[in-house]
Amino acid sequence: MTDAHVTEAELQAYVDGRLSESRQAVVASWLAAHPEEAARIETYRQQRDALRLALAPVVEEPLPPELDLHLRRHRRLGRWSARGMAVAASIALALVVGGGSGWMLRGLSAPTTAGTAALAREAAASYAVYANDADRPVEIAGSDQQMLDDWFSRRLSRPIKAPDLGPAGFRLIGGRLVATDFGPAGLYLYRDASGNRVALYVRPMRAQGNDRMTKRDVGLVRGWTWADDGLGFGMFGEMTDEQLHRTADMARAQFTSI
Amino acid sequence: MKAPVEPNADLIAIVQPLIPALRRYARALLRDRDDADDLVQDVLERAMTRWYQRHKVGSVRAWLFAILHNLAIDQLRRRMRHGASDPIENVPEVALSIPPDQEAAVRRGDILSLVSLLPEEQRSVLLLIGVEDLSYAEAAAVLDIPQGTVMSRLSRARERLRRMMDEAPGQSPALRIVK
Repeated sequence: MTDAHVTEAELQAYVDGRLSESRQAVVASWLAAHPEEAARIETYRQQRDALRLALAPVVEEPLPPELDLHLRRHRRLGRWSARGMAVAASIALALVVGGGSGWMLRGLSAPTTAGTAALAREAAASYAVYANDADRPVEIAGSDQQMLDDWFSRRLSRPIKAPDLGPAGFRLIGGRLVATDFGPAGLYLYRDASGNRVALYVRPMRAQGNDRMTKRDVGLVRGWTWADDGLGFGMFGEMTDEQLHRTADMARAQFTSI
Repeated sequence: MKAPVEPNADLIAIVQPLIPALRRYARALLRDRDDADDLVQDVLERAMTRWYQRHKVGSVRAWLFAILHNLAIDQLRRRMRHGASDPIENVPEVALSIPPDQEAAVRRGDILSLVSLLPEEQRSVLLLIGVEDLSYAEAAAVLDIPQGTVMSRLSRARERLRRMMDEAPGQSPALRIVK
């Protein structure tokens, strides 16, 4: 092969995998004959891979609502304000539940079971760490529920409100924010008269859409996960599946009617 | 008083899938999540009000990246103005990036910090081609420079990065990624 015809631009294109097959072969054999150049090009390739990998998590993050054009279309939102958010989101949610129009349904078709599996692990881990913490299970107490709800709403960029699980005998202890690979998640803790605790875990999902109520066993902790309109939930505890299912249904019904 | 703008179905179908990549480019340039997302929101506003100009820079994707790039550069310069008393003309191009601790970045082999040490014009080319997979022609359109200039900047960026990594002793920093 001829040395003369391999240019620096071609070497760059080789790094990017953008040469034609025939030129690719020419450059490859040229590099085989020039180890120093080959080492340089290999370093470039590693840089490129490292940079892509370092930035990959950004595209995996759930889209903040203010950047979601599907929501934008119905909401006419400018910047989000914590106050206006609840009203605006409830309108969008009503439209989703009501069927919306064709283009909107397209965005809802992808099932998100993989997403709620990750959520189940996070929720169970959070339950295990915090629910039985005698000293400080929560950061904000249930007596300051408004403050807690406002905080979660701001951090999750969605209207969030602790559901009332009173009919199942559970009272809100309070809540805390939890760090995950997908950004912040909210954890509400409840207890009943005999000291049983349940955790409701909530965070935005990577994909818009819904996921059915799914039973999860994560070690000693059991629970149910689901997703509605891009928001994922987990109800976890150490009670029976039926009891947990009942509280999960109760929470889900209240969230879809916010 | 500006009328509220709503995206049409056409715009949503084309632009929505590109938003994650726009966030990624903005994040890499600004190194701050909130600033980057605010910037992407500005890009979406402009895309909506100027949708009729979408064929101006070739592909819609290149057009969106061009809008984003220009807004990001404005912002980096504004940051610089607020951060330093020197008029912008006196500030070397390399200082227009957020100044991270170069030594620490090299030691850690933190690729994002190292890239942020590149002159802005090299950094943009490296990101648009290496990460965003824009074609050389698209990158030239986004940056409004000839394709030959894209190639030479790309080459300089990669070589400069390699030299920076060589300063980290006895290891292969390109393989060590700090998220």
